[in-house]
Amino acid sequence: MIKDKAYYFHTFRVDRPVLDRLITEGLRSGGSYCDLFFENTAYGNLLLRDGAVTSGGSHVDYGVGIRVLCGEKTGYAYSESTSWADMSECARAAAQIADAPTEVSPFGSQNPSRGEPNPAADRYPEQEPWLSTPMSGFLPFIQRLEASVKGRDNRIIKVIVNLSFQVSDILMYNSLRELKWDTRPLGSVAVTAVFQQGAAVENKSTSRSFRCGVEMLSESLIKDLSDDIVRGIDARFEARRPKGGKMPVVMGAGASGILLHEAMGHAFEADFNRKGTSIFADKMGRQICPKGIQIIDDGTLAGNRGALNFDDEGVPGQKTYMVEDGVLTSYLHDRISAAHYGVKPTGNGRRESFRYAPIPRMRATYMESGTAKAEDLIASVQKGIFVDEFSNGQVQIGEGDFTFYVKSGWLIEGGRLTMPVKDINIIGNGPQALADLQGVADDLIVDPAAWTCGKEQSVPVSCGIPTVLIGQLTVGGE
Amino acid sequence: MNALLSAAEIALAQHCLAFAQEQGAQQVRITLSKTLLNLVGVLNGEVDKITHSLDRSLQLQLFVDGRFGTFSSNRLDEEGLEAFIRDAIGTVRMLEADSCRSLPAPERLAKDAAGGRELDLYDEAVESLTPEERRRLALQSVAWPAEHLIAEEGEYSDSVFDSITLDSQGLFARHTETSFEIGYESTVEDAQGNHFSSYWWDAAPRLKDLRLKGCAQKAYERALAQMGPEKIPGGKYTLVVDTECAGRLLTPVLNALGGYNLQQKNSFLADSLGKKLFPEQLTITDKPRTKGDTGCRLFDSEGVATREMPVIEKGVVKTYFLNTYISAKMGLEPTVEDATRIVVQPTGGCATREDVLRKAGTGILVTGFNGGNSNPATGNFSYGIEGFFFRDGAIVHPVREMLITGNLIGLWNQLLAAADDARPCLSKRVPTLAFTQIDFSS
Repeated sequence: MIKDKAYYFHTFRVDRPVLDRLITEGLRSGGSYCDLFFENTAYGNLLLRDGAVTSGGSHVDYGVGIRVLCGEKTGYAYSESTSWADMSECARAAAQIADAPTEVSPFGSQNPSRGEPNPAADRYPEQEPWLSTPMSGFLPFIQRLEASVKGRDNRIIKVIVNLSFQVSDILMYNSLRELKWDTRPLGSVAVTAVFQQGAAVENKSTSRSFRCGVEMLSESLIKDLSDDIVRGIDARFEARRPKGGKMPVVMGAGASGILLHEAMGHAFEADFNRKGTSIFADKMGRQICPKGIQIIDDGTLAGNRGALNFDDEGVPGQKTYMVEDGVLTSYLHDRISAAHYGVKPTGNGRRESFRYAPIPRMRATYMESGTAKAEDLIASVQKGIFVDEFSNGQVQIGEGDFTFYVKSGWLIEGGRLTMPVKDINIIGNGPQALADLQGVADDLIVDPAAWTCGKEQSVPVSCGIPTVLIGQLTVGGE
Repeated sequence: MNALLSAAEIALAQHCLAFAQEQGAQQVRITLSKTLLNLVGVLNGEVDKITHSLDRSLQLQLFVDGRFGTFSSNRLDEEGLEAFIRDAIGTVRMLEADSCRSLPAPERLAKDAAGGRELDLYDEAVESLTPEERRRLALQSVAWPAEHLIAEEGEYSDSVFDSITLDSQGLFARHTETSFEIGYESTVEDAQGNHFSSYWWDAAPRLKDLRLKGCAQKAYERALAQMGPEKIPGGKYTLVVDTECAGRLLTPVLNALGGYNLQQKNSFLADSLGKKLFPEQLTITDKPRTKGDTGCRLFDSEGVATREMPVIEKGVVKTYFLNTYISAKMGLEPTVEDATRIVVQPTGGCATREDVLRKAGTGILVTGFNGGNSNPATGNFSYGIEGFFFRDGAIVHPVREMLITGNLIGLWNQLLAAADDARPCLSKRVPTLAFTQIDFSS
């Protein structure tokens, strides 16, 4: 719940004159821009294992990151204390990226004050704050969830429930005199169940994560997670590896959005393009997939794990169309890349914590629905596979090659789902797969699971996609 | 700089230990650590980024009335920590009791690590490095312009890590080390606009052992070598895995021997202790106490003394990695929490990758993995790979968009050779490996 500005000044033991002095210190060697990122994050977690909540804890992470830019070059330092001595030492360390000492005030007339706007929107619908609830208050939910999961299938021999939350107080200030503050809640519940059928053992995990408060711990969430954990488990015990090779692949709605994230989204991040390494570095304005396709990165979905009022450079959260009608129209920018390309930042400057300088990162990445029906896409495939659960996606940004590990799916034969498959990989090339999109259904789902992107730093994201048909990908198999 | 942790900070940790006991904790373990990092990034031959940081963390593990919790904070003022500990103990008290939770038996604790530098992993050279010297060390770029090269990124860093672990049984164990690292990544472009990237890196506890020269050049050459890939049909091939990435095939085996996976019945190596599941020629040993070697340590996160021990010996599973808690849950003797410095014994009469290729004859050399996973319960795996087709022991052309699939126990039972070429900077000393009759899809 966003509070008054004074709360953040008090939390970090600073005031406006101190912030100005820090900026001045950071730009003393001739840097062109300086920003400050104060963070106080409180974490809590409870773990149920073997039928009892016997493990839990809380953690505090507090500090300030100071960034100095000299053109596109970055100096970065951080301190875990906000005493003037520690912060000013950091500012001097970051300032070393520049080497033209100056005594001129960094706040020149070319950088007028932008005032102190409050967030234009509060995208974290938090009714019951996490930190106002004692940890013991979460125990009944965890116990009911375990009982519900166990009650779904008598083959379940183990259940692990992990409830975690974090609340981050953020204060940002920069040499444009932009002052922003935010409080970001994030709650997550993850369940793993181990099933045994005869001698065969299978495990399945599922999770939900939202930027909201304790109210997310509802009976409907228990039902949702319980339904999800047993969905498809019969098929998983029967599943086989298919014969490998090139074939059409139908990707189910929702979690298949990881394909967009890994295979396309990363290549749209502007730092890879600014440095020339992305396969899309010279494709701005070009048709990169069939007409009618929109690919979006969105920080405005209220309560979504990727939602942001401001990014970690103080730029307002927004919805960014990367592909419109099949044409590449925008990269995902932080301030550095936006200045490089002469465009406005898109609110994608994100960081794991004050320990990291911001870089272009995704938020909620998805493809808009098309007009086809999912069943028609499956029916159009003579021999291929349908996949709906992935893990371990990875992409090589330069080449555009990607792989995904398929946890569950089905063989398609004669337009019908005939045999469950598992433990295979799909491999392809991002630009080729985009160009080879042969159908997009009308059933977009933004997946509510706890996705985390690990590009240099870990940040919460989400992804989504409608059911899509890709003409040909390589499927690993026997 | 004698040490990162000051006497006052150590005294604060000791105060927290005593304070937690005063507040009702019967047993307490505290780990206080600090890390100092300096980093210089290079983009296309010019310094692009500098980073300076000093991290600190105080972690408490509290055993209260048969209950257990883990807490941490980086706000290290005494008054604030006392309030934090009071709240933490309150949180632990609301958890359910677990009779398996306790500190390790005192006789298992490390008693030879009070100074922090016993393993000779600290290099005083870090204390005198200047910003200018760090820039010089980072600037290892290839000469620009270089043929096909469109982007080159590099990073040099040095760090100091200093940590103490204390417990209410009198444990005082310290680990101090330095690390110096260099890494470069190059992207090249062919005439058709296709991009190919690769990297090279090195790391060492001592600056004089860091191989700076040639790092960027090697990354560039590895990227060039990938140009002109050809597709080959799927099928069964002999698989040779370069030492640079061979650890990827061993990690899931070690994970399956880990206590949490075993206890949760989520391991394809459940009930494997003492059984010969792997081939006679496979011997894997944990050697955590080799002086001066990257990654070595005298104690694990519980303060338990590490020791050299066989993990797999002549194909027989010899060790589960069991901490105090999991061992009590499973009713087995505890060992150590996890592997430290894994060494795969050479086999097959090969010293180098070239020897392995000659022995293998024809097949696919894997130089990198691209995604993939393994099922911890079954051991089934599928990994994307990049590398080269080789014939008669000689590399013919690069391959891409290929996958390998199989089962980890089956894979290791097809071990043909393990070379003796693991680089000292690798955390797991897994050399170049060869396996016969592996399924490739393309």
